[in-house]
Amino acid sequence: MIELPEERFPGRDAKVTVRHLAKSFGDNVVLEDIDMTVLEGTVTAMIGPSGAGKSTVLRCLNLLERPDSGTIDISGHRIDAESRFTNRQLYALRREAGMVFQHFNLFPHMSVMRNVTLPQQRILGRSKAEAEQKSHELLTRMGLGDKGSQYPNRCSGGQQQRIAIARALALEPTVMLFDEPTSSLDPEVGVEVLEVMHELANEGMTMIVVTHEMGFARTVSDDLVVMADGRIIEQGEPKRIMEDPSHPRTQDFLRAVLQR
Amino acid sequence: MTFFTDAVQFLPALLGGLRVSLALTGLSLLFGLPLATLLSFGTRSANKPVRWVSIAFVEVGRGAPALVMLQFMYFGLPTAGLTLSALASATLALTWTTAAYCAEYLRGGLSAVPRGEVEGSMALGMTRWDTLRYIVIPQGWRIALPSLMGFAVILFQMTSLAYTVAVPELMSQAYTNATMSFKYMTLFVLAGSIYASISIPATWLSVLVEKRLARHL
Repeated sequence: MIELPEERFPGRDAKVTVRHLAKSFGDNVVLEDIDMTVLEGTVTAMIGPSGAGKSTVLRCLNLLERPDSGTIDISGHRIDAESRFTNRQLYALRREAGMVFQHFNLFPHMSVMRNVTLPQQRILGRSKAEAEQKSHELLTRMGLGDKGSQYPNRCSGGQQQRIAIARALALEPTVMLFDEPTSSLDPEVGVEVLEVMHELANEGMTMIVVTHEMGFARTVSDDLVVMADGRIIEQGEPKRIMEDPSHPRTQDFLRAVLQR
Repeated sequence: MTFFTDAVQFLPALLGGLRVSLALTGLSLLFGLPLATLLSFGTRSANKPVRWVSIAFVEVGRGAPALVMLQFMYFGLPTAGLTLSALASATLALTWTTAAYCAEYLRGGLSAVPRGEVEGSMALGMTRWDTLRYIVIPQGWRIALPSLMGFAVILFQMTSLAYTVAVPELMSQAYTNATMSFKYMTLFVLAGSIYASISIPATWLSVLVEKRLARHL
């Protein structure tokens, strides 16, 4: 069953709108006609078996992956995959969306401070002093105020992921995309990251989270999207889907995950 | 004791030759490394003519022995109407060899930069050029640096081939003095020791640099 968020939360503006998104790698169809709306200030969790295409949707949103067709709109910055767009349009779209990866993807040859500072200087044109002040503020918020002069490989996985979140937030995105942010972390370390994400959600950040953390999906997210075989098979209120999934593939998936 | 008295006698000429050897090494690196940087991108370029010209340049530079390149530049080019001085033709030949080998080391270094870091940068909204400049090139150079330093040592030894085109470098000084004095043994032991006294510490240095650079990776 698909209950659209725009019906469940009338009166909220759409922040991210995806229409007819399709993507194949050679003969392998990865995404088929994906329609998705994410409302301002809401958290959308995406779950489903691996290979379902969840991460690909996320990667198409900021065009790390070029879709074959479909349109993407983030805060009015619209890109149609089938027509030409300029680099300026591409960078404008990416500025709206901050992305956090499973493997953090920090820059290992730069100090933590420079990891967070350099993008602000290059992308927003902030001065070094301004950028460092902002970085310090964010790192402190992440509980990493003393890590600025360290190099990423001296930090734990949970710390690295929070640095990556600070790096993305420093650019003041209007949407945050999380691609399995805790999948490469030990459970007790993942909690630190989930807490930060929960806090962000409480502050009203619009978020899309691809995750296997069912607890997070259930308690923090406003909208749950279940994908299988490159399609959205179920969508709606997280608690309803978790307790009473209607699609057989959702039932199988949830049984498998919750049994672990 | 004759070895030492001979050594004292020949040393100034040999050290004069060493200066030429080092200058030839330095010039070849000075021109070769920027060219290598361009070629490392050229061989991966999406533009076909650029890619093919770059690949041809690299393959010739790596495929032809340095001695052949030297002879070609000094004896070959004049028949085509281009006459270069001994030092200029040796510099040209060794620059080509340097550019070709170093382009491959750099290409290897650049492609060893993890894809995730490039994506991390692009996802932030950094431009393609900024991503190259701040993420890919600094790390690619770091990865390639030990190989580049190793090549510089080999290049320094390779300059001895320039004696065949009358560049007055270390080997040619040793050879000339040997034929005049018949003290071949003394002169080649001396020349070999001088090459080694530069090459061995330089190799140690490259190992040290490699260890230091690996700290953050």
